[in-house]
Amino acid sequence: MAIKIQIPTPMREQAGGKSEVEVSGGTVKAALDDLLRQYPAIGPKLFDNGKLRPYVNVFVNDEDIRYLDEMDTKITDGVIVALIPAVAGG
Amino acid sequence: MSDTNPLERYSRQMRFPGLGKSGQEKLLASRVTLCGCGALGTVVANILVRAGVGFVRIIDRDFVEPSNLQRQVLFDEADVTNNLPKAEAAATKLRQINSSVKIEPIVADINRTNLEDFCKDADLILDGSDNFEVRYLINDVAIKHGKPWVYGGAVGSQGMSMTIIPGETPCLRCVFEAAPAPGETGTCETAGVLSPAVNIVASYQATEAIKILSGNTAVINRELIIIDVWENSNRRVKVAPLAGRKGECPCCAKRNFEWLDGAHGTQTTSLCGRNAVQVSHRVRGKLDFAYLAGVLKQSGTVTYNKFLLKFQLIENGDPYEFTVFEDGRAIIKGTSEPDKARTLYAKYVGH
Repeated sequence: MAIKIQIPTPMREQAGGKSEVEVSGGTVKAALDDLLRQYPAIGPKLFDNGKLRPYVNVFVNDEDIRYLDEMDTKITDGVIVALIPAVAGG
Repeated sequence: MSDTNPLERYSRQMRFPGLGKSGQEKLLASRVTLCGCGALGTVVANILVRAGVGFVRIIDRDFVEPSNLQRQVLFDEADVTNNLPKAEAAATKLRQINSSVKIEPIVADINRTNLEDFCKDADLILDGSDNFEVRYLINDVAIKHGKPWVYGGAVGSQGMSMTIIPGETPCLRCVFEAAPAPGETGTCETAGVLSPAVNIVASYQATEAIKILSGNTAVINRELIIIDVWENSNRRVKVAPLAGRKGECPCCAKRNFEWLDGAHGTQTTSLCGRNAVQVSHRVRGKLDFAYLAGVLKQSGTVTYNKFLLKFQLIENGDPYEFTVFEDGRAIIKGTSEPDKARTLYAKYVGH
């Protein structure tokens, strides 16, 4: 069982149309690195000069990594990492 | 209505134990400011006016258009024909629904110079807007004056909502530190929107409003609600530990009201004699023209080079031409009205 990264709608075009991508890695950073290895086009949607864009939040099993260990948050197989950008319309 | 008992119309919700007669009386005595009266705003206003919230101020800068009718529940074809402002059209419907509620429609563009005035006598601020500039302004005003507010957003089949109680819960900037740059997230014009997604988000917002105004803050939602009606997902993520973000939140911890102070946001200048308006939007970094062009080509004709992007479209029979620069600035030809230009910018370039 791998780690699953859930891809939000505005980024799916850059992830081969997928809503979920399986990755490996022991931390959030490693998992996102693996995602970018598989789908390099998603890089600019997520990062700006190596920093996560400030309107994209990363949740590990529904917990925000900013109150865990940020990008160093440890993850294991079976964990779901969700990328959640702010929703603008209305 | 010729009711002898004016509370009779609220009997079904008063019978709900969480509300009761005392909760209803609090609703009747309460005042809200609704920022924006489009898809979210019409649903929120409809629920709150029927529920008997005493005073509802509705601010919106826009007019009713045919493409609104699919989801903006208070409007009809006659409002389009009569070219009515949304705030006025909504007020007329809402007064027919419940004449005992005081409705104050305001046809205006919400900005940093007027929002504090619109909110100062309100018990609660509700987000019915379609852009983050207004939401961060609401957040600044709410935190500065200690007023609760409820965020809602919807696009495509998705939506989210979050309740902000100053001093108790995280504020919008604790959770989403900065606004998406123009063109980086979808808008209802570029990505489309399903009416049920908006109705659900707005219904969550209205429920939170009823809880707060009736004094039931113990049961408010303290998580970020995220729904997708097409993919059948409904999740709540924990945001409570982000409150004040260890003293670093610029808004609720440091009390720097950057949007209210004008450090961010949009400024418009009407370009005299050219039937054009310049919209200056401060963005971090540069716009990605290739990406923006990909989004805009669904709505009109797009060309771009290294320096600028041209986008031509026809909206309700009127032609407009956008010239967008890398720094987020745009010149919009086809109108001399700043409000119209800001609306077009928010719709197509987004925020």
